[in-house]
Amino acid sequence: MIPLTYNVRSLLIRKTTTVATALGIGLVVFVLASAFMLGTGITKTMVGAGRSDNAIVLRKGSDTEMASSLEVNTLGLIGAAPGVKHSNAGTSLLSGEVVIVIAQDKLGTQGQVSNVLVRGVPATALEVRPEVHVIAGHPPRPGTDEVMVGKGLRGKFAGMDLEQSFELKKNRPVKVVGIFESGGSSFESEVWCDVDTARSSFGRDGLVSSVTVRLDSPSKFDAFKATMESDKRLGLEALTETGYYEKQSSGTALFIKIMGGVIVFFLSGGAMIGALITMLAAVSQRQREIGTLRALGFSRFSILTSFLLESSVLSLAGGLLGIACALCMSFVKLSMMNFATWQEVTFSFDPNPAVLLGSLVFGGLMGILGGFYPALRAASVSPIEAMRG
Amino acid sequence: MGLVTIAVRNIWRNKLRTVLTLSAVTVLVIFFLLLRTVIWSWTASAEQGARDRIGTRHKVSFIMQLPRRYVEEIRSVPGVKQVAHASWFGAKDPNHTDDFFSTIAVEPKEFLEVYDEIKVPKDQVEAWKQDRQGAIVGDVLAKKRGWKLGQKVVLQGTIYPGDWEFHVSGIYTADSPTVDRSTLWFQYKYLDESRAPRLQDQVGWIMARVDDPGRAAEIAKAVDKKFDDRDIQTLSMSERALQASFLGMVSAILRLIDVVSFVMVLIMGLILGNTIAMGVRERTHEYGVLRAIGFLPKHIVLFILSEGLALGMLGGLIGLAIGYPFVQKGMGPAMEENMGAFFAFFRVTPELVVASFFLASGLGLAAAIIPARTASKLEVVSALRRVG
Amino acid sequence: MSDAEKGAAKGTMISLEKVRKSFTRGREQLDVLAGLDLKIEEGSFDALMGPSGSGKSTLLNLIAGLDQPTSGKVIIGGADIGSMNEGQRAGWRASNIGFVFQTYNLMPVLTAVENVELPLLLAKLPAAERRKRAEIALRAVGLEDRAGHLPSQLSGGQEQRVTIARAIVTDPKIIVADEPTGDLDRTSADEILKLLEKLNTEFGKTIVMVTHDPAAAERAKVVHRLDKGVLAN
Repeated sequence: MIPLTYNVRSLLIRKTTTVATALGIGLVVFVLASAFMLGTGITKTMVGAGRSDNAIVLRKGSDTEMASSLEVNTLGLIGAAPGVKHSNAGTSLLSGEVVIVIAQDKLGTQGQVSNVLVRGVPATALEVRPEVHVIAGHPPRPGTDEVMVGKGLRGKFAGMDLEQSFELKKNRPVKVVGIFESGGSSFESEVWCDVDTARSSFGRDGLVSSVTVRLDSPSKFDAFKATMESDKRLGLEALTETGYYEKQSSGTALFIKIMGGVIVFFLSGGAMIGALITMLAAVSQRQREIGTLRALGFSRFSILTSFLLESSVLSLAGGLLGIACALCMSFVKLSMMNFATWQEVTFSFDPNPAVLLGSLVFGGLMGILGGFYPALRAASVSPIEAMRG
Repeated sequence: MGLVTIAVRNIWRNKLRTVLTLSAVTVLVIFFLLLRTVIWSWTASAEQGARDRIGTRHKVSFIMQLPRRYVEEIRSVPGVKQVAHASWFGAKDPNHTDDFFSTIAVEPKEFLEVYDEIKVPKDQVEAWKQDRQGAIVGDVLAKKRGWKLGQKVVLQGTIYPGDWEFHVSGIYTADSPTVDRSTLWFQYKYLDESRAPRLQDQVGWIMARVDDPGRAAEIAKAVDKKFDDRDIQTLSMSERALQASFLGMVSAILRLIDVVSFVMVLIMGLILGNTIAMGVRERTHEYGVLRAIGFLPKHIVLFILSEGLALGMLGGLIGLAIGYPFVQKGMGPAMEENMGAFFAFFRVTPELVVASFFLASGLGLAAAIIPARTASKLEVVSALRRVG
Repeated sequence: MSDAEKGAAKGTMISLEKVRKSFTRGREQLDVLAGLDLKIEEGSFDALMGPSGSGKSTLLNLIAGLDQPTSGKVIIGGADIGSMNEGQRAGWRASNIGFVFQTYNLMPVLTAVENVELPLLLAKLPAAERRKRAEIALRAVGLEDRAGHLPSQLSGGQEQRVTIARAIVTDPKIIVADEPTGDLDRTSADEILKLLEKLNTEFGKTIVMVTHDPAAAERAKVVHRLDKGVLAN
């Protein structure tokens, strides 16, 4: 086997070409990794909001909480269904919430209006969603005009920071008393207020948008769902929370992933051809060298693998650079519209190890594919080349 | 024969390398066309937004409805010519639940007056007015679903649950390329009469034609002022401003795409630069011979720059020759049909064609600058010493 | 004819006086040529020979105006080219020197006649005139029927003949050849040398040739031997 140092030294000798080609591959790996980091970031944000032992009940046929509305008197029925967990006090762990998307002034733009999701929640909401933690101030007290604002909204919209206030609608000011986080899920882009405040502000008296319940365990879901959907008059539909959020995010996440795929398809095509050009030139430049190696006794196969290794080293070097830059993206936060709910959500680039590793491997593959034909050419060089002047 | 023509011929010295380089440039040019068209298509709808129409919606949330009586009140605002209302219905075709298209309830006469880009034959309009369950359907949507005139279509409501039957009274086209031709517009009375009393007499948003497009923003403010002290306030803006704010929400994506186009340009530049640099290095002795004969360093620079420019131009031309039909004739109609809500108009503009050509050519030229300088700075004797 | 008569009849074409050429490699200074004197008569056919590293190529480069001496004078055809800058020398070379190198003389993408035309591009002649002169030059080397061929379609000897045609197309006084037969087989080499001889005797060109080939040296009128930067005779 030809030692790897031969390949590494050869790469270092033709510095400019090596750097140019590695950069090209690095760029593609960077884009690939970033796109998929964004995709998983979106899924993490959206689906992260869901638990597999929570179920969400909507009106049948509604795709989102916003389009759904249920009467308040169904709450009792839902709470009594089999599988619903009860608190120590004996009450069912459920949260009937009023969800609405409102226009608010975005900061840093000239009066540009953007959509914010407001969730009117009962006192039980934090019990049903224990992943929501108040990190500053306190949660809004029931029956008051207090609200708490998700971490992602903080400072982005007018009046959405501790001790500040904004208007839910005209003459309906609310005071921000708390900031909360929820592990990066989409709740962080929401405003939570008391459910009655929401009802009276938005004309939803006697209604809720959705009901979220905690089940005794994920396995109880099927029975729960059957009960919910059995009475056709009620017109209810039940999903696991994770299922609901997956449906929500699938559109956006899929869009990003498809775009990422298309982008990578084209870019990697270009970069691979770049690697191909470089390795071909290297092979033809080193004809005599290769001939000498063959004359010394190295087999065609060892030449083939040697050159394949060389192009892999080249592309992996570029790939590592690309990964390093992609990691920097994890500090970037993106405010984008969630197509399903029209609300503006803050997404981040999730530095998922699987994505990073996969991108690096893809980079290596680009090198191997691009370098395959040149490696074959190298392997076909005969020892006589060594003697050509 | 001159230095420039020789330089152009020199491209084919290493046929394989040139073919590969041109292939890479071609792939990237096609991609560039695609990306920029995506951005253009998205932003074009904003540019095409009517300047003489304003839209009025509930100030608090676009989900909430406005009282129907607001329509007449808006009509009385000075500067307003015609008014029509529309309400989002949000239905799905039970046979294609994943396929999204818009369903909106309107009053036929006023709607067609205000939204006059929509073109329907007169007899179909009459049929629509006569039929309570009638609807006009965009030609792209009709073609996709295979719906014909008179066809009965049953859709599932998402906001208003249940099965709703519509009759295709007419099929519309539009003379403006950015109008969505995949919408189903139906009779407002069908929706209003079928819903609960406390939900009746409400509309989703109100469109108004103003007499002076230059005063659209002013008139919009006047409308909002009128309802300022009511229980339900309004938010009005010109259609163009509305599209712009929608774009603002997806601006992050557009910026991402911009970043990707930039990356792509970098990669193209790297490949071109690499190829040219390799060629220059291999021909050092030849440049030495030219210098010996009497050619000056500036001639060598001209020589190499011409080669780079020619390579870039050729790559650009081939990329356009393949890419333009691909995006325009292949992807264009496909995007318009399947993602018409986002890309009502997916076409390659002449400006983009020219820009792409200049981009590729410019990159070829730019990529040749450093190799040209290095080569010209070499002493004749050193250049001659290099073999091959 | 006496030496004086010979000198009067022809005159000195090339004159090098106390020429020194040094190169600096890092901190070391290498004196490739150390105070050399050389005179070549007009119409002479001179060979420069010597072992590797003797400085013969360096000397040829100075004579050809490709390089400047570190000190000393290089006067060719009355012109002090040693003190010209590169731009001036380039112009001077174009009208006064014809070049024949060992290999890779021709541009692969140009046909034989186009290669011969190359030096004329600098003279700013109209295309028809250029083509005419190039064809005359090709005829002089006996390759007029190969005018439209690419170098890849020519043999090694034919390539060198095209090179010689290019070297004479501007009608220079001096032809400089660096190992012109180095890459050729015996037959082709002899052809080339015969051609050079013809240029010298029939056309009166002064020829300075660096060579290892003893047969080449035989064709020359004067042979200079160089060793470690000094002329042996």
